[in-house]
Amino acid sequence: MAMHDFFLDMRNVHFGYSHGAPVVDGVSWAMTAGAFHCLLGRSGCGKSTLLKLAAGLLLPDQGAVLLEGKSLRRPGPVTGFVFQSPTLLEWLTVLDNVLLPLSLRGTPEPADTARARALLDELGLADMDHRYPAQLSGGQQSRVAIARALITQPRLLLMDEPFAALDALTREALQDALLDVCRVHGTSVLFVTHDIAEAVYLADRVAVMDRGRIVHAQDIGLPRPRPAKLRHDAAFNGYCSALRQVMDATHELANVGR
Amino acid sequence: MRTREVMKPERNASSALRLAPSMASALVLIAVLAVWEWAVGAFGWSELVLPPPSTVTKALWSGLVSGYFWPHIMQTALEVVLGLVIGGVFGFACGLALGESTFGRHVFMPYVVASQVMPKLALAPLLTVWLGFGTLPMVAITALVCFFPLLESTMTGVSQADAARLELFRMLGATRWQTLWRLKVPIGMPSVMAGLRMAVVLALVGAVVGEFVGGSEGLGALIIAAQGSMDTPLMFAVLILITAMGLLLYLGALWVQERLLRPYAAAQSGN
Repeated sequence: MAMHDFFLDMRNVHFGYSHGAPVVDGVSWAMTAGAFHCLLGRSGCGKSTLLKLAAGLLLPDQGAVLLEGKSLRRPGPVTGFVFQSPTLLEWLTVLDNVLLPLSLRGTPEPADTARARALLDELGLADMDHRYPAQLSGGQQSRVAIARALITQPRLLLMDEPFAALDALTREALQDALLDVCRVHGTSVLFVTHDIAEAVYLADRVAVMDRGRIVHAQDIGLPRPRPAKLRHDAAFNGYCSALRQVMDATHELANVGR
Repeated sequence: MRTREVMKPERNASSALRLAPSMASALVLIAVLAVWEWAVGAFGWSELVLPPPSTVTKALWSGLVSGYFWPHIMQTALEVVLGLVIGGVFGFACGLALGESTFGRHVFMPYVVASQVMPKLALAPLLTVWLGFGTLPMVAITALVCFFPLLESTMTGVSQADAARLELFRMLGATRWQTLWRLKVPIGMPSVMAGLRMAVVLALVGAVVGEFVGGSEGLGALIIAAQGSMDTPLMFAVLILITAMGLLLYLGALWVQERLLRPYAAAQSGN
């Protein structure tokens, strides 16, 4: 496969703040369209920074980030981003929050509203359109944030530990909802997490990061669609313990921001 | 808003006890007025010093019925409303500008702080020299008094947007103008409203004190006139009018706040 066939292609990317060690130190990583990749690592390993480089929110000091073969200079409409916290606007209803990306580009059409409602339905939030974010549970807020990221029909979805603050059961329900919605829409996902089981359950391929570098890459050869009982499967646990061994060898860094 | 929420269960539990505080505060007023009325008669105090409530009520009533008060009430209300609007709009606009521009903040903040520390009311004599007597200098002083609370609260408000949501707007390709109006201003709105509440109260002080210095009409001028003619009951009557006006203004500000913050309130009350 030629280099330009990759959907997202990060080539020898370096990034650092003016003082101290580089946060991202020579990472190369490529994704094909429709893939689901996870970046796994401890706090401070540079995974969130790498995600922001992939989003165009940060620009690399050296190296290049190519999206659909073109060098990425700023955030673009091809990419959707889901943050650690749902970052909803509390003065807008659920529906208006989902429509925000479109309303920043002009008045949303009735078709857009219909699409937003359909997305909310798919994510299990039917009849919540006119609620305000503070009236939703944490899991429901995360679902709204995913719907908002998908309303522009992005080809690539970047997710920065979106479920880290949720309880285990809610998190698993959201993982299933995410896999379903991305399969239906054919969205590629790059997903940052520190949770090994989450990475194995979601991803086709997992990259383990340590001190700004990718130290290990692991293909996950589990079938799709993935049923919930897969979490108790021997193959699943095998991948988890293998990744756990890699993680144990990585370093915990003092919190140096992101 | 929030207090009301907290009160609700209590009201259901024992409505008799819930009524008690407002009943009690009414009783306090009645008791104070009664003691006052009685003491003036019993000790034979002069009406020049402390007129009894009955005399004050009479002065208030006759002033209202004869129409003597109304031009003064209208004058002060006009000054307060015009000053509030002009000062508030300028304060809000300058607050936005300084909130947005770090450079502007660095350049102007020392002057903003200095002019905040300076008592604006001390400018009243100067403003009468510049602008003459009448409505204009009073509006100017009121506007000046209202300007700073709005400036300060707007500036603080728009700088409260968190990094994640700013990043979200960058990700969505929002322009600077959109980020200001669709993110920073809504986030700062509760703070702006707090500034408005403060400005409303200060506006009345500004107008009345301005009239002390340079007014021929208005409630402040009326107090000075009453002082000149040793008409203490009139003075008390005017004080009651000013208090009533202040309460109305404050309630008006609460009404505006409730309307503007309705989405935020709806989020809190859960309906």
